[in-house]
Amino acid sequence: MRTWLSTAWVLVWKDLVQEWRSRDVLTSMFAFAVLSLFIFNYALELSPIDRAEIAPGLIWVVMVFAGTLGLNRSFAAEQDQGSFEGLMMAVPELSVIYLAKMITNLLMMFGLAILVIPIYSLLYNQSLFDLRFFGILMLGAWGYSAAGTLISSMTVQTRMRDLLLPVLLFPLLLPVNMAVVKSGSAIIAVSAVPEFQSWINLLLVYDVIMTVVSIMVFEYVIRE
Amino acid sequence: MLSENKTITILSVLAAILFVFAFFMVIFYAPIEVNMGLVQKVFYFHMSAAWVGMLAFLMAAVFGILYLVHKDLKWDRLIASSVEIGLLFTVICILSGMIWARPIWNTWWTWDPRLTTVTIMAFTYIAFILLRRSMDEPSKRAQFSAIYAIIGFVTVPLTFFSARLLRTIHPVIFGSGEVDMNLNQPMLTTMFISLGAFTVMYVALLLQRARLMQAEETLMQLRLQTESDADWEDQADA
Amino acid sequence: MKFEAKKLCKAYGVQRVLQNLDISLQSGELVCLLGPNGAGKSTLIRLLSGLLKPTAGEITIDGSLADFSEAEVRRRIGLILHQTFLYEQLTGLENLQLYARLYGTRLTESDLKQLMVRVGLGKVRPVPVRSYSRGMKQRLTIARALLNEPQILLLDEPYTGLDQQGSTMLNQLLIEEKEQQRIILITTHELSFIRQVASRFDILHRGKIAESIPNADMSLDELQERYNIVVNNRVKIQAEAAP
Repeated sequence: MRTWLSTAWVLVWKDLVQEWRSRDVLTSMFAFAVLSLFIFNYALELSPIDRAEIAPGLIWVVMVFAGTLGLNRSFAAEQDQGSFEGLMMAVPELSVIYLAKMITNLLMMFGLAILVIPIYSLLYNQSLFDLRFFGILMLGAWGYSAAGTLISSMTVQTRMRDLLLPVLLFPLLLPVNMAVVKSGSAIIAVSAVPEFQSWINLLLVYDVIMTVVSIMVFEYVIRE
Repeated sequence: MLSENKTITILSVLAAILFVFAFFMVIFYAPIEVNMGLVQKVFYFHMSAAWVGMLAFLMAAVFGILYLVHKDLKWDRLIASSVEIGLLFTVICILSGMIWARPIWNTWWTWDPRLTTVTIMAFTYIAFILLRRSMDEPSKRAQFSAIYAIIGFVTVPLTFFSARLLRTIHPVIFGSGEVDMNLNQPMLTTMFISLGAFTVMYVALLLQRARLMQAEETLMQLRLQTESDADWEDQADA
Repeated sequence: MKFEAKKLCKAYGVQRVLQNLDISLQSGELVCLLGPNGAGKSTLIRLLSGLLKPTAGEITIDGSLADFSEAEVRRRIGLILHQTFLYEQLTGLENLQLYARLYGTRLTESDLKQLMVRVGLGKVRPVPVRSYSRGMKQRLTIARALLNEPQILLLDEPYTGLDQQGSTMLNQLLIEEKEQQRIILITTHELSFIRQVASRFDILHRGKIAESIPNADMSLDELQERYNIVVNNRVKIQAEAAP
């Protein structure tokens, strides 16, 4: 068990160092997210009250779209240099590769959220600095990364690659989307949401199920 | 192959008979519903199509697990066939739902949860087909199809529960809550006959499609074989 | 130690790549796998490393079936394929440290630096592998393959990208590994270099090891001649069959 975790940590560290040295992914995700916010501002000409209500939804949507940039790149390095096979020869168990990638993607979403929330708050003069809201976003990001990592590990091996990722991933994310937006609204916006706890429970169930199933099937994705 | 032929033929004939029977039951036997009128009769096929859509999805996931365990390509053909048929029936369900909804709710589409769930399911099916199209290598394609079928199915109950948490204007047939539609005995009978007919139809179509797929693959392999290097003789064992 | 494959078959649908292949490798042996392009040399290497599963046949270590799902089995193998397995943003040393940690070795930083000296990268500045030349990357790949002290070395075209000096360095390493009683299987077209270190040549042709030639005192031309005969046998058959 301990070797499993330390191996995962080594792989996460490797991805973080790679990202830190190139800063490709986080900067593109951030630019995409902020520009999307601008586009939404002009597309949805809303009164400040309406905008305040949809803020959680907007933030989450922007994260989902920007997140695909990171997901598409998750396995790019491995695919290009054939490192999948190098890792497969070395690691104690194949599922640890999945876990490490999932954590990396989750950290990317975390970084994105940290950057985007202040920008949004600044642009629209609405404070989204709420720890509970951030917690909900992270629960959503967990589910997103769990499903997204599995799907991107598949799409990177197909002909259509990047093009296929949103098509395959988004239908699976519906429960997460609903849960994040609804429970986020309960905290940020004015409207009360009576089933708040149910949404959180649903989110947790989704996260756990998605992670467990992905770990179980991952070896079938990368083995021949 | 010959015995397979017989089973499929029998099933197909049975499906056809049941379908015609169910059709006549819907038209003549089932009474006209009090609140909604004649158009309510679409319900029988709408519900049956929804049922087959779900069943096909479930079976695709089951076949997926069977493939991952046994690695026999026949399971892969069954997955692909099931998804194709499931998509067809899901689209029928959505379209028939629209036909039903327009006179009742005065709109073609609503963002109603049950409808949304079924549509998402259709999109998952379409994504599945695109995934298969994007892969050439048969065993890898089978592996990925199995995985996506399983993952896709796992999200269905989760999507359904999410939809249930939101308020719904979809008529509640069974379960708690107000009942918008009054179902009496003849209607229930008709519905069950209809469900049965559609289920047999599903199985018949599934087997037909899988057999067709096998024929397609055999043809392609034969083609490859005649084109490939004819110098390969079978080596005698050392 | 004996590393063997018996009646190994690999087919992709109708296309048969390997057909009832037998090969036997012993400790201290360096076997060079020869064969025309597309013969299946890389496929054989992959099968022996456990990355590919055979359609039929078995692979054994000391008589018992090799279970590649066990990490212990996989970790006894050092593998070089066409791709480098390196991470471009990390430095050479960091790449080695990564793999050292993944393999669970106890190698220290100075151990790894020694390894880099051994492959001729001792004087390299700590820059990302991205800026390495092809030859430097290959040297690092060789270091990566050796760091878990594998008992079995499977090297697919290891001389690729190496200059004269690099190839000599590799030969030196191979001799050292042979003395350590490792099992080494190499595919290459660089006959002149591999001749200096090989124990024997196995020629892969039409899905099997068609011929096994011990590396006795044979000139390069003689070896080339033998190789051509085996491979071109096919041409002879076609000519005879034509009406």
